Amino acid sequence: MFGLIGHSTSLEQARSKARDLGFPEYADGDLDLWCVAPPQLVETVSITSLTGQTIEGAYIDSVFVPEMLSRFKTARRKVLSAMDLAQKSGIDITALGGFTSIIFENFNLLKAQQIRSTSLDWERFTTGNTHTAWVITQQVETNAPELGIELSRAKVAVVGATGDIGSAVCRWLSRNTGVGELLLVARQQQPLLDLQTELGEGRILSLEEALPEADVVVWVASLPQGLAIDPASLKKPCLMIDGGYPKNLDAKVAGGGVHVIKGGIVEFWQDIGWQMMEVAEMDNPQRQLFACFAEAMLLDFEGLHTNFSWGRNNISLDNMELIGAASLRHGFRSIGLNQVQLRQLAAA
Amino acid sequence: MPSLDTPLAATATATPGGEELGLDLPDFSSSLYKDAYSRINAIVIEGEQEAHDNYISLGSLIPDQAEELARLARMELKHKKGFTACANNLSVTADMEFAREFFSPLHGNFQTALAEGKVVTCLLIQAILIEAFAISAYHIYIPVADPFARKITEGVVKDEYTHLNYGQEWLKANLEASREELEQANRANLPLVRKMLEQVAGDAAVLHMDQEDLMADFMTSYQEALTDIGFTPREIARMATAALLG
Repeated sequence: MFGLIGHSTSLEQARSKARDLGFPEYADGDLDLWCVAPPQLVETVSITSLTGQTIEGAYIDSVFVPEMLSRFKTARRKVLSAMDLAQKSGIDITALGGFTSIIFENFNLLKAQQIRSTSLDWERFTTGNTHTAWVITQQVETNAPELGIELSRAKVAVVGATGDIGSAVCRWLSRNTGVGELLLVARQQQPLLDLQTELGEGRILSLEEALPEADVVVWVASLPQGLAIDPASLKKPCLMIDGGYPKNLDAKVAGGGVHVIKGGIVEFWQDIGWQMMEVAEMDNPQRQLFACFAEAMLLDFEGLHTNFSWGRNNISLDNMELIGAASLRHGFRSIGLNQVQLRQLAAA
Repeated sequence: MPSLDTPLAATATATPGGEELGLDLPDFSSSLYKDAYSRINAIVIEGEQEAHDNYISLGSLIPDQAEELARLARMELKHKKGFTACANNLSVTADMEFAREFFSPLHGNFQTALAEGKVVTCLLIQAILIEAFAISAYHIYIPVADPFARKITEGVVKDEYTHLNYGQEWLKANLEASREELEQANRANLPLVRKMLEQVAGDAAVLHMDQEDLMADFMTSYQEALTDIGFTPREIARMATAALLG
């Protein structure tokens, strides 16, 4: 059995969803009530792979909302309690979605293995980052040529290059794809230098320096609040893969030759039939989902009940290939340019 | 979907290291701590005594289980001795008068239900509400307890789960006949638990026990118990939040 731990994108949206799902008391509750509310296993679902194999899964809402980010103890408790519920529910492999994975990593919750009476078994959880990183590389490889960008000559900027996903994407683009030049962007200098040494290539630049040079920009960092990007300064065409969370790049830069794709999103070969994903801002919520969630499904399909993606900078190319092959076999495909974007391209 | 170079990183590093388990310990020898401890410790001692008395009383309502209930009651007395030792260890005198007053509304409701022969209400008050309250308080206390009390509390919390489990099993086996009385008892008593938590918030804070943590842990324990008994998530949300909002 696979599990997904997710959350709503705002308190307002959470309250609206609570009303739809038949929890009117939560719908009427204020932030303080939501802070003390326990996680909920809100939905179970069965999905069938292209191979015909069927597995069962559960969606756990951590009852976390981004408004709680400033409350460290609340955020920490929400993530650990949701993991506790997943483990007690007997779920074999659970992916941490949205902010839950970020909170786990940045608040170093590996130190917090004991939650209430439960000792968390890390083997039952995955960040899903290996699949996310693989999907992003596929989105680059598939969509850049559609825009007339020749990857072997292109400059590809990776913003958030030293993160878990970012470094894996850099490794893949360097060793497997073979791009013209990698532009490495991140906040901290030393990890950037280490990455450059490991790759044996890549130019370290600031965001402001990298953007005007890049044919492709892979964002795997959340955008700093208030960040302004001047679309006029970007190359045309430019492919942007918005792999951060939450996804808000499109409104800032899209148009006039700049094409934004939601990064790290996959589409399943048939409708999944779940309620919860309707709340995620997907174009087709019955089929589209975060690649990190899909990783838990893939690991369950493959019988790999282990923390496949865990810790930082542990993603190997072998594992990316393994999860990528499984992804294709079971009926997932990376989302690319949408119909509107393709029509615009054809017209141009 | 994770991305690690987020603004959150700044928040995380700005958080005091003491937020991590066990690092942010209070000064156990300060007069402020001892004063707060005299009330919190008294509540725990009185709670264990009440639990003992309540399990013995429950034995009169469920005679075929009187032996098992007497066994649970004996465990509560053992816990009481342990917590009394914790106070002695810190040279604190428990404020028992405060504690008796603290428990009096729940005590009164239990006694009324007992006189009316309402097993379900008695079990909800003692074996579910008070046990869930105790377990959550112990969970939150353990990481910030003095080493002596920590060891004792860790032992107690394991026992308390068996008590919670006893009430769950009985109510699960008798759910359909108990449902209406359970919901009524929940409405009458859950708000008392909330008031009790609010009443001790100041003293608990001195012991570095956060009120939101206490409430959240209680809600989780209570939800787990009601789930096990057979209520659906929607019913539980209604029961838990309606009472807390009321």
